[in-house]
Amino acid sequence: MTIPMVAGAGLSDLDFEKFREYFYKRTGIQFTAAKRYFVDRRIDACIQSSGHRNFGGWFAALRLGDRTDLLQDLINQLTVNETYFLREDYQFDSLLSEVLPRVLAGRGRPGRPAGPVKILSLPCSTGEEPYSIALRLLEEWDQIDHVDVEIHGADIDSAVLDRARLAVYGNRSLQRVPKPWLAKYFTRIDEDRYQLDGGIRDAVTLAQVNVCDTPAMRAVQDFDVIFCRNVLIYFDELSSRRAAENLYGALRAGGFLFLGHSESMSRISPIFTPVRLPEGLVYQRPTGAK
Amino acid sequence: MTMEDGTTATALVVDDAATVRLYHSSLLREAGFDVEEAANGLEAVEAALGTVFDLFVVDVNMPKMDGYACVETLRSDTVGTGAPILMVSTEDRPEDADRAYRAGANLYLVKPVSAKRLARVATMLIAKGVPE
Amino acid sequence: MGLVRRDTSPQVGKERSQAPAYDLLERHLNSPDPELRREAALELDGWDEAVPALLGRLDVESEPAVCDAILTTLVGYDTGPVAARLVGHLAGEDTGLRIAVADALAAMPESTLSLLPDLLVDPDHDVRIMTAMVLANMRHPEAESWLVAMVRGDAHPNVVTAAIDALLPSARAEHAPLLQEAMRRFPDDPFLRFVVETTVPRLAGTYR
Repeated sequence: MTIPMVAGAGLSDLDFEKFREYFYKRTGIQFTAAKRYFVDRRIDACIQSSGHRNFGGWFAALRLGDRTDLLQDLINQLTVNETYFLREDYQFDSLLSEVLPRVLAGRGRPGRPAGPVKILSLPCSTGEEPYSIALRLLEEWDQIDHVDVEIHGADIDSAVLDRARLAVYGNRSLQRVPKPWLAKYFTRIDEDRYQLDGGIRDAVTLAQVNVCDTPAMRAVQDFDVIFCRNVLIYFDELSSRRAAENLYGALRAGGFLFLGHSESMSRISPIFTPVRLPEGLVYQRPTGAK
Repeated sequence: MTMEDGTTATALVVDDAATVRLYHSSLLREAGFDVEEAANGLEAVEAALGTVFDLFVVDVNMPKMDGYACVETLRSDTVGTGAPILMVSTEDRPEDADRAYRAGANLYLVKPVSAKRLARVATMLIAKGVPE
Repeated sequence: MGLVRRDTSPQVGKERSQAPAYDLLERHLNSPDPELRREAALELDGWDEAVPALLGRLDVESEPAVCDAILTTLVGYDTGPVAARLVGHLAGEDTGLRIAVADALAAMPESTLSLLPDLLVDPDHDVRIMTAMVLANMRHPEAESWLVAMVRGDAHPNVVTAAIDALLPSARAEHAPLLQEAMRRFPDDPFLRFVVETTVPRLAGTYR
């Protein structure tokens, strides 16, 4: 005998539309109709833990804007916050096949002297993202032997930076890393801990920086590519505007900015030019005299 | 609304007001278009980068990127569309229409636009592809 | 070739200690180089004495990226005098600047709301339409009551429809009579009729 699945509270279509529009306006994240069930369940969970009796009360509190804890809980519920190697690596595909060729083509033009290609991962958290970029470049970029590349990681949290420097990771974080790469670039400590080899660790520069802090970001300059994935969604209007301006300033003219898969600059700032790539959008600082 | 190649014409409705989008979208659907929506000029540019649209209906006053800047960007190398663009606005000064045409719009209408008018001009723009 | 590390030690602390002096930043705000102006506008964040210079620069600035940077800094000053100066741009000819200022005002609710009584009776209906846009994007509990006032009292149908649209995302069953009254005031407006006819029935189903 099968137990019929109860539909659960769920949202009316109208409420779902209101929520969808609000969430997009607030975070730049879009939900397709396919995600409806997923979103309904997550919202139910948020409502329950908030103490509000129903969607109406919870949504009204959320919209007022002063309950940052409600918003944080909602964003945490609706986004994947786990970090792991080669996360959303179709963007690394785009980096290799679309973006780096354009970066190389732009070198030597006025305003873009020859010199290392500079790539920044911000926030770099415990290092999976910048190290993923390093591994992909070493293993799969046909230009890596001809071009100097600087990889930088930055994060506001010094504790995660310490862990990034140590570069010890468990199976969960490493699950997408091809076994040959694991053997080649990591040393096994025990069955669930591997340390990235010193050569790669040393090749990545890590620094503590707050992306919203304009004076601090002044030291972050001349990058060809920045990965800033799934962090702008946490900022309010003021902070996300300032972060966007600081990221712009950190890029060279013509430099590229990757946001998270479902994020968009369209709700934050008009200063970047969107560029279509086969696997999604990337944002470009306009070319022109810097 | 069928294009020369047999496909259904696709329109992008751009307005920050959800109900205006709904209004223009339903009128265009009744006229036989497939319709997508964007809530500001930046979203419209991003949508146009991913989909070939046969018609754009663009509001003037929108946050982040206004309609004129949106139309200029749609016509520029960033998107480079040649599809007809209809601008719709609450402003009815002559200089606003001039501004729209300079930006690259084909037609400029003042809100509110009646159902008949929108269907008529949309159909005409698709058929002729040239400014009135 | 390959992955290279920057030879110099972390520069962040060093850069901070070499922060440009205020006078230099204020000079850069009027530099012929738009990038210097943009950077100066952002770096003047936190310098209260820079506010008049920033407001003054906004009056004459032609580069949109610089205007954005100026407003990003000014938005941090949710004060009456700043909002009052910014509001003047809502009537301006430059659509891009109007929009950018409206975005900024929406992020400065306390000071902007104090200006609402005057904005609601501004003789220019375009300013009142822009006011509805500001309220639409403003996260503040009082925004709604101002929108209701606009729907109830404005004489221009496009202002009323702009206010209704701003109100709809948070509209409840109790707003139905307000919307129906608006439709009665402007019987020839097809859009208003559409809005009321499609929305009012759905309002009854909200907030189960």
